[in-house]
Amino acid sequence: MYSTYEKMPITLPPRVVIALSCIIAAFFLLAARLWYLQAIRGESFAERSKNNRQKTVFVPPARGVIRDRHGVPLAKNRPAFNVEMYLHETPDVDQTIDTIAELLGEPAQEYRERLQKQGGPRFRPRILLRDASRTEVERILAHRWYLPGVFINHYPIRWYEHGHLASHVLGHIREIGKSDLDKPEFKGYYQPGDLIGKSGLELQWELYLQGRRGLNRFVVNAHSVKIRDLPEQVPAIPGNILELTLDKDVQAAADTALQGEWGAVVAMVPKTGEILALSSAPNFDPNIFTGELSPDQWSEMINGREKILNNRAVQEVYPPGSVFKAFLGAAGLEEGLITPSTTEYCPGYHKVGNATFRCHKRSGHGNVNLEQALTVSCDVYFYVLGARLGIDRIHEYATRFGFGTPTGLDLVHEAPGLIPSKAWKKRRFAGTEESRWYPGETPSVAIGQGATSVTPMQLAVALSALVNGGKVMRPYLVKAMYSSDGQIVTERGEPKIVGEVGIREQYLQRVQEDLIEVVHGARGTARRARLPEEWEIKAAGKTGTSQVVALSAKTDKREHEHHALYAGYAPAKDPEILVAAIVEHGGSGGLAAAPVARQVMEAYFRKFHGKVHPDAPVPLVSEGNQQEGDGVEGGGPP
Amino acid sequence: MIPEIRSYIRSLDWVLLLLMFVIPTIGLTVLYSASYDPDLERRFLFWTLNSSLVFRQLLYCAAGTFVMFLAAALPARFPYRFSYALYVVLLGLLVVVLISGTITNGSRRWLSLGPVNLQPSELMKIGVILALARYLTKVPPKQRVYGFSELIVPTLIFVIPMAIILRQPDLGTALTVGAIGASMILFVGVKRWVLISSFLTGLGGVLVAWFWFLHPYQKLRVTTLFDPESDPHGSGYQIIQSKIAVGSGEIFGKGYLEGSQTRLEFVPERTTDFIFCVLAEEWGFVGSVVVLALYLFLLARILQNVARSKDYFGALVGVGVVALVFFHTFVNLGMVVGFLPVVGLPLPLLSYGGSSMLTTFFALGIVLAVTSQRSAFSR
Repeated sequence: MYSTYEKMPITLPPRVVIALSCIIAAFFLLAARLWYLQAIRGESFAERSKNNRQKTVFVPPARGVIRDRHGVPLAKNRPAFNVEMYLHETPDVDQTIDTIAELLGEPAQEYRERLQKQGGPRFRPRILLRDASRTEVERILAHRWYLPGVFINHYPIRWYEHGHLASHVLGHIREIGKSDLDKPEFKGYYQPGDLIGKSGLELQWELYLQGRRGLNRFVVNAHSVKIRDLPEQVPAIPGNILELTLDKDVQAAADTALQGEWGAVVAMVPKTGEILALSSAPNFDPNIFTGELSPDQWSEMINGREKILNNRAVQEVYPPGSVFKAFLGAAGLEEGLITPSTTEYCPGYHKVGNATFRCHKRSGHGNVNLEQALTVSCDVYFYVLGARLGIDRIHEYATRFGFGTPTGLDLVHEAPGLIPSKAWKKRRFAGTEESRWYPGETPSVAIGQGATSVTPMQLAVALSALVNGGKVMRPYLVKAMYSSDGQIVTERGEPKIVGEVGIREQYLQRVQEDLIEVVHGARGTARRARLPEEWEIKAAGKTGTSQVVALSAKTDKREHEHHALYAGYAPAKDPEILVAAIVEHGGSGGLAAAPVARQVMEAYFRKFHGKVHPDAPVPLVSEGNQQEGDGVEGGGPP
Repeated sequence: MIPEIRSYIRSLDWVLLLLMFVIPTIGLTVLYSASYDPDLERRFLFWTLNSSLVFRQLLYCAAGTFVMFLAAALPARFPYRFSYALYVVLLGLLVVVLISGTITNGSRRWLSLGPVNLQPSELMKIGVILALARYLTKVPPKQRVYGFSELIVPTLIFVIPMAIILRQPDLGTALTVGAIGASMILFVGVKRWVLISSFLTGLGGVLVAWFWFLHPYQKLRVTTLFDPESDPHGSGYQIIQSKIAVGSGEIFGKGYLEGSQTRLEFVPERTTDFIFCVLAEEWGFVGSVVVLALYLFLLARILQNVARSKDYFGALVGVGVVALVFFHTFVNLGMVVGFLPVVGLPLPLLSYGGSSMLTTFFALGIVLAVTSQRSAFSR
């Protein structure tokens, strides 16, 4: 049966040669392809293989600490505990989430949604719960055997220890927006989800406070499971430390004094320009911005009638009212238009052409000299003096005192304010009838009304110049900046003179004497600014009550009430602290603003001179621990 | 008995046997690296669970070697005599598999026989080789080469199992069976117009298959081949990662156990179909070409035996086995280096897997039996 070997129907060798040739050709093709992949393109494939396995994640740095002039931290960091899940270590994600939901008493759906929102490689943990509370953390840890792949990780998170305290100075941080991400200076450094300074010093010093993120380099496998760390690691460097000129207790007093009002307080050292307190009301708790904030809450913050985020001390302008008279008086003396004994008769009104300008005292003050005019804040005296100076000289002196331009405070978004002048009118109303200056407009300016507008900060700086020998100081908040380890000072705030008022010392002193009388005189408008008699510290200052609407249109509504202003200092001789305060719609400067300033000054002398208040044994520290959210911002005028 | 054993040993092709030892040994070495887990090594002794894959492969090699020597010891006429019976039985098993086979990865390929899992399509490759060799031996071409009508039966011999296997579906094995059949017939020779018309038919068949029969996943494998980067995490993933693994080996490789692409599991199927990636990555171009050369030697050596053969049936079986090994090798490597679509064909003697290992050893054993000089006088 098997006999085919006897006749071989074909000749084998030539066929074998053909077959072998085909095989060799095919293998040559494979070898050529290998040569192409491994020799010609080998390097680029080697690079890609490296990129495949070597991954880098950022290690967030701790934000720089902000502390007061004595090193008391105002903004620091605390550990936030996040409940995180590593997907590759969780065999049954659904069941694990159900367990967590049960433990923490939240609907599981919420965790699922959070999980779904977070994409990215599997080695990056998914955050199930941000900033978990102590009990939540304890519950998770107690049940960790039932929660494979669930870990508690901690990261530094911004913490404003004193809640609302100095909120407008410190500012707030918030998740970075798209527009910031696209900024060229931020490119490649920030990534979505980072927190960035959005107001106050947090914004101003963002690049220094931010710190340097570290890099964690490691090897992953194809399932994005971290295999091991690579030797090249970059540790995170915390942000620089900012030491402020603020004093926490004075600041707390300022915040407390404004509680329930709308307004601002600036307390500074008149000789140097150091800001001791800067308060704006209503204020806010910056801590809420680091957490989750609903769009509604956010829009209320930004657009609400209260303008909570607005720093009224530097971003808002007000007519200075009668406070302006102190500067006008000094200018009049310098120009030789008046002497301390020059008197004017105040019948209760003043006529310019057809217009009648009223004094706030309808019956008139009678004959008044400069001292009396300042003490009782007689308007007519200054209508007359204003007319003699003329608008351009008023503008000149006001400008020398620093009005009309930003003070140069190291805080963003400072408003310049405005002192009217002929040139300004020409510019402002170019081509209209209004472009001319009418003599009838000068009286309003002379008593700090009309178009005159200043920031509380400018008021403080100007009065400082009046009491420190005529030097216009640049106010500053940052005393020093230290490297993150606190060793090296990288920046130092120094007193800086930015101008001279050009008024002889004797005249400045004359006005200073008169300002003592405003507080301590029997008829003085700022009697409520007096410090406790036992302290034997004399105070001086000037009140202001600036009109918001025309007197004829004024009603009893709170928003029609006058703004109450006061700028004063103490001790009257060689002053250490100067306070400018404004209470929006507070009524009268002497009644509403002077007590605010007094409270701030009292806090200062209690702290720096160990003075004890005679009436009440007020504890030294009165910051009013507002972390629990006692609804300070809920206040405001009825 | 002793002289018979002696003549048996003398009749064996020791060059071929050496290659059949060297290549699987390299395979085990590469497999050890492909399945290496440093964590496990710390926990267990080297020879225990650590390399269970290697250990099992070693068992398959041992079993395969035994089967090979057993097959080589068969009387030369034995394969000839039982070729049709084997073919029919396997055809029956294929049908059974199609009806009641175990489904793995979406296709019916396995037949559960108690503790043993049988893959009839794997054995069918040999069944087709033997049956076709016998038929071609029995019916040589009337003229110098085959004409159209003479080819109907031999074509059916390999097309029928091919069609059944395609239904499983197992495109790779079906194509292998087709390649084997076509190679054997072509080796004997066909008329020119048969060649041309079958080429055109084949082309038409491909087009028809493309538009009517191929599964979307199969088509995707082809389209992806030309542009793997269009879907780097989906269909293109395997091709891209495989190319990165091979390419990143560069000339001299990353070193044994140092292949990050494979070690860190970027390349799927790195112990089976894509085991060549491990080799290329760790041993580089040099190592790859050496292994390529070993395969070439193996095929050349079988062909040499074929050329020397006095036995027509034996020669045709040799050609069939060459076609089998070559097709597997070429398609597998072509897939690994990214110029052929991903069809699941293992690399003979290197990929992990008992079926492939046993089939290859068995096929080589039959080659040894039918092409040895002994066969001419011990029929």
